[in-house]
Amino acid sequence: MLFQSWPFVIFLLIVYPIYLVLKRTRFGIFWLLAASYFFYGWINPLYPILIIYVTTIDYFTVARMEKSSHRKMWLIVSVVNNVGLLGFFKYAGFITDNLNALLMSLKIPYEIAPPGFLLPVGISFYIFQSMSYTIDFYRGNITREKSFIKYAAFVSFFPRLLMGPIERAKNFLPQLHKVPDVSWSDIADGLSLFIVGLFKKIALADFLKLYVVRVYDNPEQFQSPSLILATFLFAWQIYFDFSGYTDMARGVARMMGFRLRLNFNNPYLATGLSDFWHRWHISLSSWFRDYVYIPLGGNRRGTFNTYRNIFLTMIISGLWHAGLFSGATLTFVIWGVVHTFGLFLTREMERTEFYKKKVPKLVKQLFVFCFVGFAWIFFRADSINDAWLIIKRIFTSGFSNPYCPVLALVLIFAVWFYQFMYESRIKRLLELKLVRITIVVLMIFYLAVFAPSSEQAFIYMRF
Amino acid sequence: MSENNATVPFSSNSIRLSVGQWIIAGIVCLAFLYLIPALWEQSEQFSPGPDFRMPYELSNDYWLYRRYCRWADSQHEIFVTGDSVIWGHFVSRNNTLSGQLNKITEHDMFANLGLDGIHPAAMEGLLHYYGKNISNKNVILHFNPLWMSSPKQDLQGDKEFIFNHPKLVSQFTPKIPCYKAPFSARISTVLRRYIVLPNLITHIKITYFQSMDIPTWTIEHPYENPLKAVTFNLPEVAKDEIQGTRDERRQTRDEGRRDDSYQWVIPKTSFQWSCFQRTIQLLQKRGNRVFVLVGPFNEHILNGASLEAYQNLKDDIELRLATNNIDYYAPPALPAELYVDASHPTSEGYALLAQQLFANESFKTSILNPGRD
Repeated sequence: MLFQSWPFVIFLLIVYPIYLVLKRTRFGIFWLLAASYFFYGWINPLYPILIIYVTTIDYFTVARMEKSSHRKMWLIVSVVNNVGLLGFFKYAGFITDNLNALLMSLKIPYEIAPPGFLLPVGISFYIFQSMSYTIDFYRGNITREKSFIKYAAFVSFFPRLLMGPIERAKNFLPQLHKVPDVSWSDIADGLSLFIVGLFKKIALADFLKLYVVRVYDNPEQFQSPSLILATFLFAWQIYFDFSGYTDMARGVARMMGFRLRLNFNNPYLATGLSDFWHRWHISLSSWFRDYVYIPLGGNRRGTFNTYRNIFLTMIISGLWHAGLFSGATLTFVIWGVVHTFGLFLTREMERTEFYKKKVPKLVKQLFVFCFVGFAWIFFRADSINDAWLIIKRIFTSGFSNPYCPVLALVLIFAVWFYQFMYESRIKRLLELKLVRITIVVLMIFYLAVFAPSSEQAFIYMRF
Repeated sequence: MSENNATVPFSSNSIRLSVGQWIIAGIVCLAFLYLIPALWEQSEQFSPGPDFRMPYELSNDYWLYRRYCRWADSQHEIFVTGDSVIWGHFVSRNNTLSGQLNKITEHDMFANLGLDGIHPAAMEGLLHYYGKNISNKNVILHFNPLWMSSPKQDLQGDKEFIFNHPKLVSQFTPKIPCYKAPFSARISTVLRRYIVLPNLITHIKITYFQSMDIPTWTIEHPYENPLKAVTFNLPEVAKDEIQGTRDERRQTRDEGRRDDSYQWVIPKTSFQWSCFQRTIQLLQKRGNRVFVLVGPFNEHILNGASLEAYQNLKDDIELRLATNNIDYYAPPALPAELYVDASHPTSEGYALLAQQLFANESFKTSILNPGRD
């Protein structure tokens, strides 16, 4: 169920008070687990079976790892199981489509039947979360979680189940062990996070989507200004959509006494591509860093290996985004490749004194935003052909009136300016009580008046 | 040791309110919730003229309907309510039934509270939630048998049926099988019935933004300021167009056209009839004197079997009304040339119907009786 829907409100109105009552008893964790499975099962009653399967395999492989001298073998069991599951659901269609395309290009009159099932929502997130537990245990970074129920609650914790943030066991399991304090401040903080997330999603992301869809669904009908603006709007749409979800997830968790990690840190204020990846989808990029990049050797084995490791990590990241029943599976891989080359080209440049000290901050931010925006074309386009068509038409199709809503641009500018102020010396102005209260009231008022009437799913729910 | 509690930044912005600050924000929002609708009514001009009826384009604007009821309460003595037959599809507003009744009395006595497209199931919701000002009045409540002309029109089918005014019908119980709105939408609809501000927002969208969400409107009007679109002048109040085309009229008035596609639903099993009965009770509970006008349906388009079934239906309805001591009048069918289609009269048809009403004893004693308490 979507956070911005009435079923979720009703769900929370039932789960939350009972949770507050039960959290000090041994039933609290059971209630939390039951609520999480109910939340997941609301989307599809079969989904809880899948998450229970993942939970059980990883719980027991770690239990065996603890007792066995063949620790690596059990780690491989866990990794193969998790990656295999992901591969099965995520890439069966991708592989089928591409094999069929290959067969067609070789003029072989045979077609492999498409898999005919949908990617379970959230699977990429909770599998990564569960895998981090087994890998961290293997590395000796954490102790084994003895309680299956607590481990299951860690994997399935409903606020972050569908779209992260991807929590680490060493950060979240201890929170499940102690009775969470839920103070009035926690509730106030949770509401603050939630309202910001709700505004980002409904008032901003869903609004920008209207123009983006109009242009990206028929790029051949639009000229350069429309394509540029649609790309610009999409960059903000995906940020508002994803970070909005995270804010709401963190808000709900906070109201329950849990602290989830920050997942987005004003990424469009990044002053370099590396900086961007430290601000965007932080839980995923740090996961890839810790479990792919560093095991490959990171930056410790010379320049060539460093770049190789960056390349492989970004390709895998692109593949992670490539989903089933998405017509643009290869485009995500290309998106990863584009970022890879961007990192290659800028990595050395960003280390120079000239870049660090002479290039104005605004110029750096603009450069990074333009690059990231360009890469988003591949992320958003419906196919590789569409992506190339958009890029080509941006540079060759001439000028026409883009008919882009001024209100959308005004809102984006307002948000960008706020973020800019937040990371500047005049941040204190934003912290004034009157300013904060006014912003919240305006957000609520805007949501009441301007919000579209239908609920829109989140972009990252399909990964 | 968990790094989370101590080192995790709260957020990437400063929008963090304390409990006290949330209370202040909440109070301000609640104040807006109550003040804005009141201030809006002061600011938006609403001066219905004689024989006013809800503008056709604003048929789904229930906030405006409520406001109109409140205004009519102070200006008129008798309310006439029903579907497009009362609203006056195919005629101008001074030639509707209430218009013709006003002509007879030479006095703006009758208010047209009809709403185009409203069927009994929706009428129940409309008067329940938005018609609270209809109290201690004389009310002519029209029943159009067309809503019982098939199981589909009676909302009894299982297959999804997109009917008019879905937000007014029962969202949960009694269950309407052909109504397939998602759970979330139903909850939203129910909540809106009790909070004024969302209804006002809908009114603003319908009236000033062509029924679009404001974001969608800005896609269609990218360079216009949405705030400037709100002129505080209801756009269709002065202009009152006749709905329905001349061609439509000519077709449905062809001589000798008979229709046997009606599958009349009997009152005993009719969902629409049960809603209509509850509407009568609701009005009576609010101190209104209710007079039911049944039809008159254009019997000239019915063939032998269908005509017989309709006449049985009409007799059954009359019996039920009489048994429940509800004043009513079920006039005979008007002459064929005074109908535009199955249920809508022409201007002359409304004139004749008005005269028939004035000649009806039950109508005279229950509605025109000046001595009612």
